[in-house]
Amino acid sequence: MTTTGGASAVSQVARAPRWKTVLTPTTARLAALIAVVIFFSIVNPFFLTADNLLNIMQNTVVVGMVAAPLTLLLVARQVDLSVGSAVALAATTLAIIAEAGYGIAAGVVGAMLAALLVALVNAIVITRLRVSSIIATLGTLVAFRGLAKLEGSGRNIRLEHFDFLGRTRLNVLGLPVPLGVIILLGVLLVFWFIMSQTRYGRHMYGMGANPKAALLAGVKLERNVTIGFLMTGLVVGVTSLIAVSEVGAVAPTTGQGLELLAITGIILGGASLSGGRGTIPGIIVAILILAVLDNGLTLSRITSFWQEVVRGTILISAVALDQARLARGKPDTRFEL
Amino acid sequence: MNDPTNVRPTDPPGAAVSAGGEAPAHRMPLLSVRGVSKNYGPVEALRNVSFEIHKGEVVGLVGDNGAGKSTLVKCIAGVLRPSEGEIHLDGTAQEFGSPADARSAGVETVYQDLALVELFDLADNLFLGRELIRSGWLRPLGLLRKREMGIQAREAVAQLPAKFPDLAAPIDTMSGGQRQIVAISKAAFWGRRLMLLDEPTAALGVQESAGVLEMVQHTAARGDIAMLVIAHNLEHIFSVCTRILVMRRGSLVANVNVGETTAEEVVAYITGAK
Repeated sequence: MTTTGGASAVSQVARAPRWKTVLTPTTARLAALIAVVIFFSIVNPFFLTADNLLNIMQNTVVVGMVAAPLTLLLVARQVDLSVGSAVALAATTLAIIAEAGYGIAAGVVGAMLAALLVALVNAIVITRLRVSSIIATLGTLVAFRGLAKLEGSGRNIRLEHFDFLGRTRLNVLGLPVPLGVIILLGVLLVFWFIMSQTRYGRHMYGMGANPKAALLAGVKLERNVTIGFLMTGLVVGVTSLIAVSEVGAVAPTTGQGLELLAITGIILGGASLSGGRGTIPGIIVAILILAVLDNGLTLSRITSFWQEVVRGTILISAVALDQARLARGKPDTRFEL
Repeated sequence: MNDPTNVRPTDPPGAAVSAGGEAPAHRMPLLSVRGVSKNYGPVEALRNVSFEIHKGEVVGLVGDNGAGKSTLVKCIAGVLRPSEGEIHLDGTAQEFGSPADARSAGVETVYQDLALVELFDLADNLFLGRELIRSGWLRPLGLLRKREMGIQAREAVAQLPAKFPDLAAPIDTMSGGQRQIVAISKAAFWGRRLMLLDEPTAALGVQESAGVLEMVQHTAARGDIAMLVIAHNLEHIFSVCTRILVMRRGSLVANVNVGETTAEEVVAYITGAK
């Protein structure tokens, strides 16, 4: 009593050609990174030296740190625009506690608590007050920046005896690798693991790609978002420590624009504002591309204004190329957020 | 209103059944809906609906737009709570507070928009929300058992009448019919008692519909599960169902065996001409 002739009608998915499985968004970006490295190596003999490469890596630390949890959030269709202000608020907290004579250790605890509190505020506004993450964190971006300025009375605050995190170099295979780079690699590894190997990560991808389906499947959207923001707070706290330690001071502008730099890297790395896409390896390559470009252009004595122009152009080109590659048979995401 | 009648679950679809009203009394129905009503303020979406479904049956649920079909299915699926009445599974009254409650009682629903994650492949969709994770001291980390899930997904798919050559492809590369089959096979994979299908052939062409209907029959042939299928297309209903429930303005107006009725009669019930 079975209907015949139906099976053939719903079979046969066209198998992707081999080049498509090799040329993934991440490998395409890796090829671009290698091309940029080769280009600058030819143009400038100083580029491909151990010192300069370590310098490039050092420059990726602060952006790379916050990009890791932001990728996890973006995959779940959540964005945190307040990370730059949160870094400032946490850093200022550290500075004024240390300045008041309570010691660096108390300051570090204060900075971590400030960063977690900030994350909790974001999570509550989004899950309880039902404000979308982009608007909620646009609000906290402004508000936390104001709080940081209030806290530090708008001053530059010097911080002595706290260059351990920012200036320490560890000997790895004979190379003096900055401690910050090693912390960054650790953070990236943790977030790669969470996103690709755990149920939580799988749920974040699912709820980003199709929130309604995820909800019906029993995924706990609000709980997952809250955990995601708290993890962001944790990383932002550590990032603020490194940022302060690198410079030895906190300014009202500390961390300004960090969120956009990080999101540029994340989108360049293959993530989408509509969620469900993006991997840590892709984001690592993208952030390296941006850092190599900055460094290479600086070595070529091209003004930093041009670096900004290049950065923006690269971002748009990469997304346009992805769209062209994915165009056929894919839903049109142009008019989504 | 007709008396609720039950066919023997072993009867093949479309076979002539003369057992109207002679349901064996010793057999407990799998699903028993008793006097269920659902009100939204003064609006009565469901009025005192009662019927039973036995194991192995495929029951069609038809009616005009706004007749209450979706509301009824949502009450059984745990999406809505009935204002009055009871829903029993295997003789036990159920109070579903959420779809998750209904699922843990063995009731799976295939929604009209399928509720699949388009960017995920078949295995990831099959296990979304019910992932297999490593046990032992690592359990709190929620480590995915990817290989095991892949194996189970391949085994489940291998038994299907439809073929999926590339299981690793995201399902947004599949046709509408294939996605419907993925959604049904997900429900069949997890469902232990009852499957609710909301318009499984609504947006599909003739051939794809045939494939989906074949999938419905394939699943029903397991014999340990019952299905309630909402559909507008009476031809589809007659080809897979053993019994038809007709709703009109929130009430159940007919409960007829497929072998004892005609499409004309069912249309008459739907439109109120009978």
